Amino acid sequence: MATDIAEFIAPTDLSHALDILAQGRHTILAGGTDFYPARVGRPLTEPVIDITGIDGLRGINRVEGFHRIGTLTTWSDLITTELPPGFDGLKMAAGQIGGIQIQNVGTIGGNLCNASPAADGIPPLLALDASVELASPAGTRVVALEEFLTGYRSTSRQPGELLTAVLVPEEFDDATSSFWKLGSRAYLVISVAMVAATIVCDADGTIETARVAIGACSPVAKRLHALEADLAGRHGDAADAVTVEHLADLSPIDDIRAGVDERRNAALHLVRRTVASCLS
Amino acid sequence: MQVSMTVNGRTRTADVEARTLLVHYLREQLNLTGTHVGCETSYCGACTVLVDGKATKSCTVLAVQAEGADVTTVEGLANGELHPVQEGFWERHGLQCGFCTPGMIMSAVALLNENDNPSEDEIRHGIEGNLCRCTGYHNIVRSIEYAAATMRGEDPPASQWKDES
Repeated sequence: MATDIAEFIAPTDLSHALDILAQGRHTILAGGTDFYPARVGRPLTEPVIDITGIDGLRGINRVEGFHRIGTLTTWSDLITTELPPGFDGLKMAAGQIGGIQIQNVGTIGGNLCNASPAADGIPPLLALDASVELASPAGTRVVALEEFLTGYRSTSRQPGELLTAVLVPEEFDDATSSFWKLGSRAYLVISVAMVAATIVCDADGTIETARVAIGACSPVAKRLHALEADLAGRHGDAADAVTVEHLADLSPIDDIRAGVDERRNAALHLVRRTVASCLS
Repeated sequence: MQVSMTVNGRTRTADVEARTLLVHYLREQLNLTGTHVGCETSYCGACTVLVDGKATKSCTVLAVQAEGADVTTVEGLANGELHPVQEGFWERHGLQCGFCTPGMIMSAVALLNENDNPSEDEIRHGIEGNLCRCTGYHNIVRSIEYAAATMRGEDPPASQWKDES
């Protein structure tokens, strides 16, 4: 019986990595924060491709109307990079993922591909209209994050594809944004619920555009489109407009972290708080 | 697979199985047992070491992923005399059972390398990724305050206990 990782490859070049991935056999390893913890007590035998040595996949730069966040960008990188106010919510989420040691190695691409319903990185990126760039030997395609996430821990990434970057449009640079999460403690905690919002106001403080997304209350984090429409045109008291009907599409679960009713209640208050904090 | 990294200033090269976690490599192949294994699920922080200066949970990283890295464990801190953070834990009773201590110390070292005068909130934030099952956080914070003052060349804050000043 196999007792070790069948093959461990650490390419330094993207095209080499894509050729290996095209075989469709390898598990992609980046920061590793969800790799071993998901396999404790089981033999590690699958072939692994470690992408952390590939040049050019880490860091944030501007490309044709977008902020391009390399897939290997860590949460600590995001926190320490100077970014426009529209990224404040994403930074707040980054600072609440795991603890500092996890933020130092955990990557944005890994968080999206792992596609946990409780991934703290997902709601802020949904609220920024983010998309992801997927590369394969055949070329590159860009998919809206909302379409990339297809279900509980499932994405539209094909086995031979590598998520190479997250693209955030520049149109939200001057927006206000926020993130609130509820867990049983402040740190090292898997979210009971978390909410991100991005709000653009005109000069009079009237809401022009709102994006609100909520995680850990459905198999995939959701944009609250009906709420977003109702927020448009409102002012500083917009949080009062949030009602339980806006959360009707959620399907929270009962688990060790919270019950259904507690999650629904938490969701309502977190949405109000997050919207209010964007407007304060 | 062969892996080569700098551990506490020494270049170490060894054959490891690809599945070997960095913490197991440090403990079982290099006999550096100061780094503890607590939860093995990247939760408790007892296994915290510095990888290229950044606090990292060594049960999160495969040893082969640390190829070429500069790793510091708790054994690499003292240089003839205790590191100020170690001294702080000694002087301010920063440990009870001691299991979390090596990880707490490494997180504190990483914090103080970036911020030499942290507030109490910043200290608590700096050790957010480390759990103390004795719940001895209060004295751990005092220990790190002691270390911070010492490293700045100042007198440490007075002890709150009567018999030490």
